[in-house]
Amino acid sequence: MKKLITFLVPLLFTCLVSASETGGLNSLRTDDLSIQAPAEAMKKVHESDSLLKRDFIQQPPMIPHDIRGYDINKNVNSCLRCHSWKNASKWGATRISVTHFYDRDGKQLADVAPGRYFCVQCHVPQADAKPLLENMFEPVDSLKKQQ
Amino acid sequence: MSREPFYKRYWQLLTKPAAKISLGIILAFGFVAGIVFWGGFNTGMEATNQEEFCIGCHEMKNNVYEEYKSTIHYNNRSGVRAICSDCHVPKDWTAKMIRKIQASKEVWGKITGKIDTREKFLSHRREMADREWARMKANDSQECRNCHNFEFMDFSEQSGRAARIHQKALQGDDKTPATGETCIDCHKGIAHQLPEMDGVEGWH
Amino acid sequence: MKLEQSRRDFIKNSAVAATAAAAGISTTASATNLITSSKDTDIHWDKAPCRFCGTGCSVLVGTKDNKVVATQGDPEAPVNRGLNCIKGYFLSKIMYGKDRLDTPLLRMKDGKFDKNGEFAPITWDQAFDIMADKWKAALKDTRNSDEMPPVGMFGSGQWTIMEGYAASKLYKAGFRSNHIDPNARHCMASAVGGFMRTFGIDEPMGCYDDFEHSDAFVLWGSNMAEMHPILWSRITDRVLSNDHVKVAVLSTFKHRSFELADNSIIFTPQSDLAIGNFICNYLIQNNAVNKEFIKKHTHFRLGVTDIGYGLRPEHPLEQKAKNSGKGGSKEIDFDGFAKFVSEYTVEKTEEISGVPAKNLIELAKLYADPKRKVMSLWTMGMNQHTRGVWMNNIVYNIHLLTGKISEPGNGPFSLTGQPSACGTAREVGTFSHRLPADMVVKKKKHRDYAEKIWKLPEGTVPGKVGYHAVLQNRMLKDGKLNAYWVMCNNNMQAAPNMNEEGLPGYRNPDNFIVVSDPYPTVTAQAADLVLPTAMWVEKEGGYGNAERRTQLWFQQVEPHGEARSDLWQLMEFSKRFKTEEVWSDALLAKAPQYRGKTLFEVLFKNGQVDKFPMSEFKGRMNQESEDFGFYVHKGLFEEYATFGRGKAHDLAPFDMYHEARGLRWPVVDGKETLWRFREGYDPYVKSGEEVSFYGKKDGKAWIFALPYEPPAESPDEEYDLWLSTGRVLEHWHTGTMTRRVPELYRAFPDAVIFMHPEDAKERGLRRGMEAKILSRRGEVRSRIETRGRNRPPKGLVFMPFFDAKQLVNKLTLDATDPLSKETDYKKCAVKIVKV
Repeated sequence: MKKLITFLVPLLFTCLVSASETGGLNSLRTDDLSIQAPAEAMKKVHESDSLLKRDFIQQPPMIPHDIRGYDINKNVNSCLRCHSWKNASKWGATRISVTHFYDRDGKQLADVAPGRYFCVQCHVPQADAKPLLENMFEPVDSLKKQQ
Repeated sequence: MSREPFYKRYWQLLTKPAAKISLGIILAFGFVAGIVFWGGFNTGMEATNQEEFCIGCHEMKNNVYEEYKSTIHYNNRSGVRAICSDCHVPKDWTAKMIRKIQASKEVWGKITGKIDTREKFLSHRREMADREWARMKANDSQECRNCHNFEFMDFSEQSGRAARIHQKALQGDDKTPATGETCIDCHKGIAHQLPEMDGVEGWH
Repeated sequence: MKLEQSRRDFIKNSAVAATAAAAGISTTASATNLITSSKDTDIHWDKAPCRFCGTGCSVLVGTKDNKVVATQGDPEAPVNRGLNCIKGYFLSKIMYGKDRLDTPLLRMKDGKFDKNGEFAPITWDQAFDIMADKWKAALKDTRNSDEMPPVGMFGSGQWTIMEGYAASKLYKAGFRSNHIDPNARHCMASAVGGFMRTFGIDEPMGCYDDFEHSDAFVLWGSNMAEMHPILWSRITDRVLSNDHVKVAVLSTFKHRSFELADNSIIFTPQSDLAIGNFICNYLIQNNAVNKEFIKKHTHFRLGVTDIGYGLRPEHPLEQKAKNSGKGGSKEIDFDGFAKFVSEYTVEKTEEISGVPAKNLIELAKLYADPKRKVMSLWTMGMNQHTRGVWMNNIVYNIHLLTGKISEPGNGPFSLTGQPSACGTAREVGTFSHRLPADMVVKKKKHRDYAEKIWKLPEGTVPGKVGYHAVLQNRMLKDGKLNAYWVMCNNNMQAAPNMNEEGLPGYRNPDNFIVVSDPYPTVTAQAADLVLPTAMWVEKEGGYGNAERRTQLWFQQVEPHGEARSDLWQLMEFSKRFKTEEVWSDALLAKAPQYRGKTLFEVLFKNGQVDKFPMSEFKGRMNQESEDFGFYVHKGLFEEYATFGRGKAHDLAPFDMYHEARGLRWPVVDGKETLWRFREGYDPYVKSGEEVSFYGKKDGKAWIFALPYEPPAESPDEEYDLWLSTGRVLEHWHTGTMTRRVPELYRAFPDAVIFMHPEDAKERGLRRGMEAKILSRRGEVRSRIETRGRNRPPKGLVFMPFFDAKQLVNKLTLDATDPLSKETDYKKCAVKIVKV
C-alpha cells in the first residue's frame, strides 16, 4: 500500500502541475521543478602550471592544482610546505603575500599570522568546468591586459 | 600379526641406524619436508601481508586504515591499489625478515594496548611516523619505487609542477645537480594524516 | 572624518598598487609603462557591509563608470580588519551575472495574465496594476471582519533595515495583515525563542570581542570554518597563539571545524539535548555551580514536555503529542532542577548520544573549571532542530549555572546566517508575531505603542499572530493565502517539503504569487509575476550583524536595467491603495483625516518618514529618495529608531552610521555596548546591581528543566539513513549570487551526497557515481562523495542545498520546532539507491 502511494503521489502530482510549470523562465535549472534530471558528472579539479587570472588587485589567487589529501589542521599546514617564504623558491611555488604576516592589530609578525592559518577560507581550487552563465563583470583597464 | 603403533615405528625409523633406508628416501623426505615448511612459512609471511590481517586489529582499522580510505592509494583512476604491506613491508627477503621481526614489537604493543585508543594513537603517531620515514629514507624509498619507478616515468604525462620538481630532485638541471631527495622526503602523509610536523626537515 | 582620511589613503595606495601591477605586464609603447592619467586609475572607494552571512564584515567597494570594479576587505572594520572569506572577496562580481532581470515579467497568454501562461516582459505600471487588482480582490472580503486578509509576504534577513521596516509597516498597519514573515524563520527563530524564554530580550549579550578573551570555544552545531570563516579566523588566531585555549566541536558529522578541535564529538542526531543536560548534571555533581550567581540572578522553571513537531495538526505525531505547540513552564527550585537533570548520567548520555564518556567529561570540565572563560557558539545545528528553543535554553542553563555570562570571553553566542537576520528580521520585527524592539502583536500595549509612533488609529494593527514561514506554504496550498509577495529570498528552493507544500501552494490556481529578485530563481520560476530588483550597493541600506552591530552604506552604482530596490517597490506599491479599500469602516471612523488618502501618504508621507529633505543626503546617488522627493532612508531609520530608544535597543543618530564601521546597540550617549546585562558595560544596569537580566521583570534569567525527546523522523528499515542538509563555504544559501560568479561556481560546482565509504560500498556505490536519494516526500539525483571536507559517520549523509538542479528540499520534512516554528533541516530519513 505504502509503495503504491509513493508511486502514485508523484504521478498525480505531475498531472496537477501543468506543462508550463516554469512559464518558460530558466533559473540555474532549466527543467520543470517537479522533474528530476540526471545529475551532472562530477567535475575534475583544474591542474595547471600557470596562475589563474585575477580581476582585481585584492582578489585572492585561486589554487591551480588539486589539494586532495593536503592536511591543514593543528598538526600541520601542507600548503605552507611549498608556499611559505622559506620554501617557495625551492618548489617554484607562489610565495604567500606579505599581507599574511600582519595580525588583527596591524602588527607585523615573524611568520604567517595565526588568523590566516586556514588557507582554504580564501584560496580554493577550481574545477574544470564552464561557468553556468557568463559574468559581465569587467576589471579596470590596467588589469584587462593581463588576460 | 600384531603391528606396533605407527608412532613407535616412526620413532624407530628415526632412531635406528639408517642401514635399512636408502639415502634416496632420506633425501626425498627432506625435500618434501622442506617444501612443506618453507611453503608454510611463506604462506604465513604472505598471510601477514594481507590487508585483512593488517586491519584485523582496531588500532589499524580505525586510525590509519580509515584515513587511508580517502587517499589516492586506496581509490584512484585506474584502480591500482597499494595495500599496507606494499608500502610498509620490503620485498627484498632479508629486509622483509628484519621488518617482520621488528613487527613482533608491534604485536607486543597490541597486547599491552599501547595505542588502543585514538588519543593514545595520536600521542604516539609522530614517533611511529618518524620510524617509518627513517626506514624509507634509508632504503631510498624502495617500496615507493617498486611501483613508481623513476626510470619509467613519463614526465610529459605529469602535471607541469610535478614533472619539474621530479626532474629537479632526481636528475637535477643545467644549473643544479640532483638534490638526491627520495620520494618520502616530499610525499610524507600521502596515505595517512600527518602527525605534528614540528622540526621535520623541509616543513615550515 | 576618519573614514574620509582612510579612504583617501586607500585610493592613493591602491592607485600605486594598480599601476605597479600594470607596470609588470603592460605592453604599451609609451615612454613610461605606468598609467599616469588619474582619470584611468581613479577608482571611487566606499564602505559597505558584505552581502552574505551574519558575520557583518565590512568591505571597500571600488567603483568606476557606474560599475563595481573591485572589492576588498575593509582594513578599518573591527569585525574583519581587512580580511574577507572567498565569497566576500568576490562580492564585486555578484551583481553581474548575465541573466540579471531587467524588466517585470508576467505569465501571460493572449496578452493577458494566465496562471499557466509564459513569462513575458511588462512595464512597472502594468505590474503594479495587476498586483493591486489581485491584492484588492483578496482584501475585499475580510475588510470589515475580524479576520486578517489572505494577503501575505515572505521577506528576508537580507532586506535592509529600512526595507524590512517599510514592509512590516505596509503589511501590519497598511494591509492589516500579520501574515508577513522573513526567511530568518528558517535560520534563527529558535535562537530568538531561546533568548526570549530565558532572558526576555533578544540577541546575544556578548560580542565578537569575546573571541580574543576566551579560553575555550565550544561549537554546538556550527561549522564556523565554512559558514563564518572570518570569525573562525579570529578563533584560530586565539587558539594557535595561546596553548591553553581549547576547542570542542560537536556535530552529527565530521567537518572542517574539527581541524582545530581538541575534543571531537560526533553525536547521534537530536542527542545534544541529553549532552546539555549531562553537563548541567556534571556541574551540580561536581560542585561547579556558581551558587551566589544563581541565587541572585536566576529562577528555575520546569518546562512543558511532549510538545509535538510543528507538523500539520492532523499529522499522527501532533495527534499523539499531549501538549502540541505549548511553551509553558512552572517555577521549581534548584533542588528540583538538580533532580531533573540527575537522570542524565554519563552512562545514560553515552548511550543516547554515542559519545564516549571520556569526551563528555572532558567537555563538561571546560565549563566546570572556574578559571576557564568559555564561549559557546552555535548556528543551524542547534536552531534547525525540533527542540531548538529547548536546546538554546539548555546552553543558557550551563552558562547561568556557572555564571559564565555577560563578561569578556564568557558567554553563549548565537551566530546568524544572514546579513541582517538581527538588524532586519529580529530588531525591526518582521516576523508574523512581532513589532520593532522585541514587542509582539499579541500585546495590546505593544500595538498601542506602535500605532502611536505611526500616528495611526488605535486597533490598526491586528492582535493575532500571522502565518509563519512553513504555515504560509501550507496556507497557500490550502487556498487560505491568496495574494503573496516573496521578496529577497528563494523560498521554493529553501523551504522544506517542496513537493507536498511549497510547489502545490505556489501553483494553486487560487493564488497570485509575486517574486522580487535580481535573478531568475527557482522561486521566480514558480511565480506569476517576477519583479526585477536592485541589489546590495545599487541602493542605500543598513544591516545589523550577529553582535548587534548596525552598519549603513550608500548607493554606489545605478541599478541594472529597470531593476528597483525592494524599498522602492514596497513604497511605490503602497500608492495603489486608498485607505477605504483596505481599512475597515470602523477603523476609518476613528481616523477620518485619513479618508481618501493612499497608504503611501498615511504610512510614508506622514510627516516623519518624509521629514528629511534631500539636502541632508551625503552620498553620491540615491534612487529612491530622488523618486520620492525626500531622504527616504533617513526618515524610515529615524522613525524606526524611536521604537527602541530608551528601551535598551537604542540606535545612534542615522548620520553616525555613515561615518562609523557600525555601532553595537544599545548606543547610549554615542557609546556602544559591548556586553549587556553587566554593570560597567551596559548603561541599562544600575550601579550596585552587578548583573541584571532586565528583559525579565525582576532582572532574573530563567533556567529551564527540559528533557531529551526523540526527533520527528528517524531512520528505519526502509529509509535507513539520516539526511542532514546545509551549506558550503563557497556558496551562499541557495547560490543565486555565488553560483553566478565563475570562480565560486568552479570552487564547488554541483551538490554532492557526502557519505561514509562503507555506506556507499554496501549500496554498490562509489565516489562519483550517480545515485538517487529518496525520502517519503520525494527524490533527488546526485553524485556520491566519499572524501573531501565532510566525513559523515556510517548511517548519515549530508547534502548542501545550494544547487538549483538538485532541490534537496524535495526530501526534507516540514517538521519545525513547535515553539519557534523553525524547520529541522538536519534530520529526516532517506534511502540511497543506484540509478
